[in-house]
Amino acid sequence: MDSIMSADFLAAVIAGAIMASMPLLFAALGETISEQAGVLNLGLEGMMLAGGYAGFVLAYWSGSSWVGLLAAILAGIAVSLLMVVFSVRMGRDQIVVGIAILFAMQGLTSLLHQVQFGESYPRLGEAAMLSIPGLRDIPVLGILFNQPAVVYIGVALIIIVGWIFLKTNFGLNIRAAGWKPVALDNAGVDVIKIRTIAVLVTGALAGLGGGYMAVVTAGIFVPFMTHGQGFIAIVIAMLARGRSTWVLIGSLLFGTALSIADGLQLVGIEVSTDIVNMLPFVFVLLALVLFGRQSYLPAALCIPFERGKR
Amino acid sequence: MKSTESFRLSRSSIAIMVLAVMLTLVAGCGRTEDAGTDASPASGSGGIEVTKVAVVTPEKANDFGWNQMGVEGVKAAAEAVGAEVIVQDGAGYGDITPIMNQLATEEPQLIFAWASGYNAVGPSMAQQLGIAVTSADPGDESVNQPQLVQAIEEHAEKGAYLAGILAARMTQTGTVGIVASADDLNWAKMGGGYIAGARSINPDIKILYVQIGQAGYADAAGAKRVTTSAISGGADIIFGFGDGSSFGMMQAVETAKAPAGADKVYFIDVIGDKSSLDEKNIYLSSVVWDFSQLNTEIIESLEAGTFGQESAYLDLDNGLKLLQTDLIPDDIWAEIETAKQSIIDGSIEVPLTVSAKEVKDLIAAGE
Repeated sequence: MDSIMSADFLAAVIAGAIMASMPLLFAALGETISEQAGVLNLGLEGMMLAGGYAGFVLAYWSGSSWVGLLAAILAGIAVSLLMVVFSVRMGRDQIVVGIAILFAMQGLTSLLHQVQFGESYPRLGEAAMLSIPGLRDIPVLGILFNQPAVVYIGVALIIIVGWIFLKTNFGLNIRAAGWKPVALDNAGVDVIKIRTIAVLVTGALAGLGGGYMAVVTAGIFVPFMTHGQGFIAIVIAMLARGRSTWVLIGSLLFGTALSIADGLQLVGIEVSTDIVNMLPFVFVLLALVLFGRQSYLPAALCIPFERGKR
Repeated sequence: MKSTESFRLSRSSIAIMVLAVMLTLVAGCGRTEDAGTDASPASGSGGIEVTKVAVVTPEKANDFGWNQMGVEGVKAAAEAVGAEVIVQDGAGYGDITPIMNQLATEEPQLIFAWASGYNAVGPSMAQQLGIAVTSADPGDESVNQPQLVQAIEEHAEKGAYLAGILAARMTQTGTVGIVASADDLNWAKMGGGYIAGARSINPDIKILYVQIGQAGYADAAGAKRVTTSAISGGADIIFGFGDGSSFGMMQAVETAKAPAGADKVYFIDVIGDKSSLDEKNIYLSSVVWDFSQLNTEIIESLEAGTFGQESAYLDLDNGLKLLQTDLIPDDIWAEIETAKQSIIDGSIEVPLTVSAKEVKDLIAAGE
């Protein structure tokens, strides 16, 4: 065991934790906004796939990971428009539309990938890194200061979303759209508009999460590569209850547990990554049992809003 | 009013779902090809004349892996015996009963059901349709039924033994890695063979084993993460078992900083040959599963009336091989060839491990 416990190995475990956390962080942050606005976005993984595919294609063609990540955001927004049109505007069942988005994106990205890259499977190089001089040289922990630049953007987004929720009228309106949409409507605020913005932002963040996975982590897009991450992100968002710092903690805990499980395997201690993958779902079940659905999730979650109806 | 709204809701919901499912299905549509010639072999005693065969694979046949090797193997075999081929790739891992029924209308004499996930449906459909089918990796001789069901297995561990020799000769750090995408019978077989091969060269070689998950076949991001960890643990040769996840492993090998004591990290692949995709000279080799000869033998056995009497094995003398690349020095390749002959003549016996646990136990036993 000792022979592989080098500083490089420990640093790799930390890097692995960040690698596994970031897609979840972006997607769960987006889902938090959507859920707080009253829209359960089960199509999150579909948006991640769209972002992953578009991000990879544009990063490959342009040679720039930034262009790829921007494309991932735009792809996520484009897919989330389906949710906006069908669920927010037309009031169709959010669960059905979300699942349809997931299936559609699984099929579409798989098909497009086969047509374009089925014979070549190109791979990207390393994404743009941001190294902080001095700090990056700290043994083991220095890896925290030598990460893809988008990681720091993710941390900044946590602060920004937290601030919006706590300190701005817009954040208050989002939460009111999920908890008391009729009251919000009575106050003269357009609930549909608030939910539309929330879902589009969710699409952008989910797309970025998928883009991170394809462009920054794997350096390649393969069909179905999100591998259930969208659903784990939904569960993290449920556990976070609208608090962005909890999204950060939940994502990091999950990624760290996964990376530690990898590390333990390498030193000969068996910890199944599948148990780690299962943990968020166990936690959310426990939370729902302990706190009860009504007090735990937004009261108007999954309920279409129509003016004049109560 | 309420009932009208409910009807409208369900109608639009159904429309959305249908659209989504159609997109999913479009990604998995198959194709029919005529790779045959005019000649048809004569049928033997108790056998049947084979003029048309079909192959069903769960994923598209351009994955540089199991699906591609399967379809290419069936095409080559059909060409060898002068039969037509129907290719139905991307059929998914679910119930293929409708697909089998559809194929039956094309009247093939043999269907290669190219996934272990089809092993329940395949033999059952063979009974119903009266068409011979193959069963992929059932791990059980009793699956065989004369002229109806033929089990196909692989002695993958023997190819992996050769890969182990290669890794032990090429490593600069004295540490090699195994990255498995799943807890899979063939991955376990190859893990054990690889360990035995590596230790036959260097009994003290350090072997790291890491698994992405129970079924991380397509988890490219997870593959990148665990492969990077294995490299940082000192492994400079990665033996990777995956499908789509293999590309994540390759990307990790391409971008990783070589561990202390090594100039470079190399990748050894399984099943297919991705050397044409290697732009950074990291693709050291692959344990290739070429089913052309074995599938030809299977078709011929159906014609001879010996189909389904015992399991057919892919082995070092009929298509299982270690891929030779320019990165392998001649003297090491000569050593590998010698070992190959020794395995074929039985002077080297390769251990068989059938689970990830047995692989890990084997690693621990040598430490």
